[in-house]
Amino acid sequence: MSWRNIRAVMRKEIQHIVRDRATLILVLITPTVLLLIMAYALTVELEYIPVAVLDHDRSSISRKFVQQVTAGEDLDLYAQVDRFDQIEMMLVTGEIKAAVIIAPNFSQKLLALEGLPMQLIIDGTEPESGNFAVDHIAQRVEQFIREVMSKQLQTSGISEEALLPIDLRLRAWYNPGLRPRVDLIPGLISMVLGFPALSVALTLAHEREHGTLEQLMVSPIGRAELLLGKMIPYVIVGLANVIVMPVLAMLWFAIPFNGNFVLFFLLSALFLFAILSMGIIIGVFMRTQAAALALSFLLIFFPGFFLTGIFFPIVAMPEIMRMESLFLPGTHYAVITRGVFLTAIGMDVLWPYAVMLAGLGVVFTGVAALFFRKRLG
Amino acid sequence: MEAGREAEAIITVHDLTREFDGRRAVDGLDLSITPGELFGLIGPDGAGKTTTLRLLAGLLKVSHGEAQVAGFDLLSQPEEIKPRIGYMAQEFSLYAELTVTENLLFFSDIYGVDPEKVNERAERLLAFAGLQEFKSRRAQHLSGGMKKKLALACTLIHEPEILLLDEPTTGVDPVSRREFWEILTELNLSGTTILVSTPYMDEADRCERVGLIYDGRLIICDTPAAIRGKLPGEVLEIRPGDWRAARGVVTSLPGVHQVQTYGEALHLIVDSAERRAGEIKAALMEKGIEVPDLNPVPPRMEEAFISLIHRIESGVQV
Repeated sequence: MSWRNIRAVMRKEIQHIVRDRATLILVLITPTVLLLIMAYALTVELEYIPVAVLDHDRSSISRKFVQQVTAGEDLDLYAQVDRFDQIEMMLVTGEIKAAVIIAPNFSQKLLALEGLPMQLIIDGTEPESGNFAVDHIAQRVEQFIREVMSKQLQTSGISEEALLPIDLRLRAWYNPGLRPRVDLIPGLISMVLGFPALSVALTLAHEREHGTLEQLMVSPIGRAELLLGKMIPYVIVGLANVIVMPVLAMLWFAIPFNGNFVLFFLLSALFLFAILSMGIIIGVFMRTQAAALALSFLLIFFPGFFLTGIFFPIVAMPEIMRMESLFLPGTHYAVITRGVFLTAIGMDVLWPYAVMLAGLGVVFTGVAALFFRKRLG
Repeated sequence: MEAGREAEAIITVHDLTREFDGRRAVDGLDLSITPGELFGLIGPDGAGKTTTLRLLAGLLKVSHGEAQVAGFDLLSQPEEIKPRIGYMAQEFSLYAELTVTENLLFFSDIYGVDPEKVNERAERLLAFAGLQEFKSRRAQHLSGGMKKKLALACTLIHEPEILLLDEPTTGVDPVSRREFWEILTELNLSGTTILVSTPYMDEADRCERVGLIYDGRLIICDTPAAIRGKLPGEVLEIRPGDWRAARGVVTSLPGVHQVQTYGEALHLIVDSAERRAGEIKAALMEKGIEVPDLNPVPPRMEEAFISLIHRIESGVQV
């Protein structure tokens, strides 16, 4: 193994990356753009939904109820209607996502503590806003009932605490607001950082297509020297992205970065080594750039999307998929990014994942060097 | 092959065969090239020229047969051979984003050229190839001829003993072609063994020896003069007043093997110039075609080859 040969290939590859604008954009800008697109497309942080109210009771209590439900910014009183068919029309046209219908005997039953005759209708075609409506309206209703009850109880001389002996308070660790983006963005980062693997897969196929590989094959350069020389520059470019991503996450999406950045950087280098060697394998076997591109999506990006546990928990997968996910560098790296970003765990917890990444990298590079022949055809 | 040549040969090939899906692209090739020789490999497209050169460069697996290149066995020591040869593929492609100098330095690195000698050598090669002015120009902005010359310079940076060049002048303009051959001749004079394939017959004439490959087999292998001498019969050149009409007349005359057209001149390959000259003239006069002169001319390489191929195709042993 000669360092001079590796360095020669590296220098050439860097010159290629820097001078070929398409490659430069592909490796430097794409991860950022992908992160932005996916973060916005995949995580909907609902701020409010429009709601209609049909009040059959028309009492001062029902008015107070409506007022209280729509007092916050999360539930926007879009319209007070008189007939049910109006609600239906608004749901169909998407003007409202939920509707509250108050029964004629609302105040009567409430004051008699016999229940709360009201109905909540949600638009089931959009589960995201439906859930939002259920959660938020239920909270308000509970609050309203409490207030009414405590007044009633006070007049009858019973304290509130006697009726509610258990005070349940929920607290979500690491993501107190339970914001979906806080959990998802570190996962997405683990995915978009693997993007230079595509460029590596393309670069070997590119040399094959342009005939420069033939010239390298007749030279005395070693196979491993050639493959490493091609891979290292992309690891370096990938590490530039490793610095950009947390900054973007913190400043743009307000995601906390609680862990150790140096640890994150080093483990990211391991991940890049592993995922880029997958790219190298594809480059070794595919004759054309088109084929390399197609296979990269099939082997790296689609599994990276579905099998690495970013969107779907791995424990919920069938056995065979769980096995497959073990061979994807993204699976281990997603644990690392989430861990370092949110829970600030260190090597004491992350070492098995680091070992897996290093192992996959060595095995993949080995397979690539083994099957790469300095021959045509 | 004579024994002496075999002993001192720098390339020896015995029964070299390469099959692609059962079809023999190179079929039982025997060849021996002496150090310092300029050897031309001629043949029509698809005859097996490229496959032969790729086999010798270690780029393709040999189906059977054996070969020694630069003193090493092609089958068992291909990596020993690589530093000693310079191979230039027909589609030699440089790194488009790299400059002329950067391309040269890249190849000097991967061939392990002594760093102290690199700059001097690169300068010399650039001067040799007439590329000094374009040193810092990116390869993608060079003309076709300049690309070929840079490719040759890259192939020469490690000073190989043997050059394997696959149709280096195909697609190059005539001026650059001539320049390229001047460079090759100079290299050859300085002692480099050159094995070059070409579809151009005028280039074959510049070689010391020429091998004709046809359908994967080496049909003939000799000096250009000797190959010209293999033409059965002689060549008569006529410049008739109406060459189209004349062509129709002479083709069917007895003793005329072939008729080839060169502009307004016709070359007739006849069994005997002396015997047929009068007959041809008479036949043309009879049809009222003016024939100012009728001269025996030395055969061209092209005529010799075309005639050889015709004979092979009609099943005659050569």
